[in-house]
Amino acid sequence: MTLARRLARRLLLGISLFCCAACPANRTPVNLEFSATWAGQAIRCGESELSLTDLRFFVSDVVLIDAAGGESPLVLTTDQRWQQQGIALIDLENGEGGCANGTPETNATLSGLVEVGDIQRIRFTVGVPFELNHANPLLADAPLDDSAMHWHWRSGYKFLRAGVTTVSDGFWLHLGSTACTGTVQNIGACRSPNRVTVELGGFSLQRNRINVDLSALFEGVNLNDGIRSDCSSGPSESACTAAFTALGLPFGEDSDRPIPSSVFQVGH
Amino acid sequence: MTIVLTVIVFSIQSAPFDWHLADGYPEPQVPDDNPMTPEKVELGRWLFYDTRLSGNNTMSCGTCHRQVLAFTDGKTNSIGSTGVHHPRSSMSLVNVAYASRLTWANPLLDRLEDQALTPLLGENPVEMGMSGRDAEIGALLESDPNYRPLAKSAFPDDENPYSVLNAVRAIAAFVRSIVSFGSPYDAYLAGDSNALSPSAERGMELYFSERVECFHCHGGFNFTDSTTHANTDVERVGFHNNGLYNLDASGAYPEDNTGLFDMTGKVRDMGRFKAPSLRNIALTKPYMHDGSIATLADVLDHYSRGGRLTATGENAGDGRLSPFKSEFVDGFELSDSERADLIQFLGSLTDESVLTDERWSNPFAH
Repeated sequence: MTLARRLARRLLLGISLFCCAACPANRTPVNLEFSATWAGQAIRCGESELSLTDLRFFVSDVVLIDAAGGESPLVLTTDQRWQQQGIALIDLENGEGGCANGTPETNATLSGLVEVGDIQRIRFTVGVPFELNHANPLLADAPLDDSAMHWHWRSGYKFLRAGVTTVSDGFWLHLGSTACTGTVQNIGACRSPNRVTVELGGFSLQRNRINVDLSALFEGVNLNDGIRSDCSSGPSESACTAAFTALGLPFGEDSDRPIPSSVFQVGH
Repeated sequence: MTIVLTVIVFSIQSAPFDWHLADGYPEPQVPDDNPMTPEKVELGRWLFYDTRLSGNNTMSCGTCHRQVLAFTDGKTNSIGSTGVHHPRSSMSLVNVAYASRLTWANPLLDRLEDQALTPLLGENPVEMGMSGRDAEIGALLESDPNYRPLAKSAFPDDENPYSVLNAVRAIAAFVRSIVSFGSPYDAYLAGDSNALSPSAERGMELYFSERVECFHCHGGFNFTDSTTHANTDVERVGFHNNGLYNLDASGAYPEDNTGLFDMTGKVRDMGRFKAPSLRNIALTKPYMHDGSIATLADVLDHYSRGGRLTATGENAGDGRLSPFKSEFVDGFELSDSERADLIQFLGSLTDESVLTDERWSNPFAH
């Protein structure tokens, strides 16, 4: 870490400490839990008939909405591992079984501070904001230093990696921005940003978590044809169509944005 | 005393790197944050040939980039450390320092420091298989008794020289150092009129003719139109569809090899690839991005026809009729002797010294 960045971090830490001391008492810590299911049943890395092979994703721009429509951002805390600069890495795989390319560490919880009100809705983005997405990952702090969450030939992060396997079939998805212009160190814009905005009603901070329904994500994928396939968000990959549709993302040069995603749900 | 020391330090740091270039050839561009030093190149040389840079310790950069084959591997498709076949054929690294864009069809990649991460960390396809394990490379630099002093002298100003970033910078510096212009054609240009045979001379005339049109895409001192160097601000980048495929009669390429289209998503970019340097081309068969043409004679047949006809199978189609084909791939007639002359000229672009130069050899083999 450069001296300048170290100083900047100290300054930020100072500001946040000051804020905690000086802010109104209704700024309270919040933990938001994430889970994963397949057709209502928990899905894990392992050796069962249908198992997880990967599930990691970046969450940013979390906003909590009260009954009157008032919005308050969930200000993510910064730690040295899972959260920084308003983004969090959620890691629901534990490196076991078919998740051999993963890590033993998991992180199902996002932590932040919010001005508590009568929260009824939540909105968040699955993805890394453009300003952070195209910096050099070898110079980044955790969790943006995780090379498994980055693709170097397209520039930018894999916003979401998700995969399942059966005994004889499987599918995995790596989602991230494509069709970017410029060069790796100087990206202009990405024509397919591929960030997923999720907004969910009927949500209570005290009672609910966010569930990822992989059976919805892979609904259009044939897991019974004996062909293991994958999607790396490339525009020429026909295997991407189904997963992009499920996420409510346009795919292909002229496609319209399909209906909003049902992959992310309020969990109980 | 301080002044004297400052002057010494300054003069050491600013000593120009010796590229061993003959007069008239420009130096490559070097990123400001990764200046060339002999120490860094030496660290990069060890890392380039070290199989511990792959997830299962089976392959190094040098596995797919073998010095004896002008830093290619001779395979149709390269094979990654876990056995996955790469959709593409390994590219030569000779003079890659002059490439304005790297790999076969990536408009984003203009620095070797960025490109090196793809073979190291890429997952689709897996090449060296270090995704999520890159910290092991930094640990190797720090713990290995050979690497520790190499890393320290390559990055003397770094508080912690044992980082993945520095490993990548060193590999990039080594690869950038592989520049050579020692072919018979270069000797001919320098005034040795006997360096080319009469046949090769005739082939040269054809090569640079409007009839055969090779030079439009494979032109300039490095025989590719995607070239840049230290003495220019002009950046030339070219991607071309040369009529290899036309799967659906509307120009489609096989799904795993659509070229520039995969990066831009624009249909007009279907099947567009970089024209690689033709230096050492006689040594780097098979040809094309997917290694689908076996010999130089077959390559000439392809361009002579103005595109390839695939009669049957999943890739069936007539590339000559592709709507995306380059205007320079129109086809031409060649007599047998002209064909032989062109092949002789292409052979004169082979620089034998590259294949054995100690500077770029495998240090583990000594």
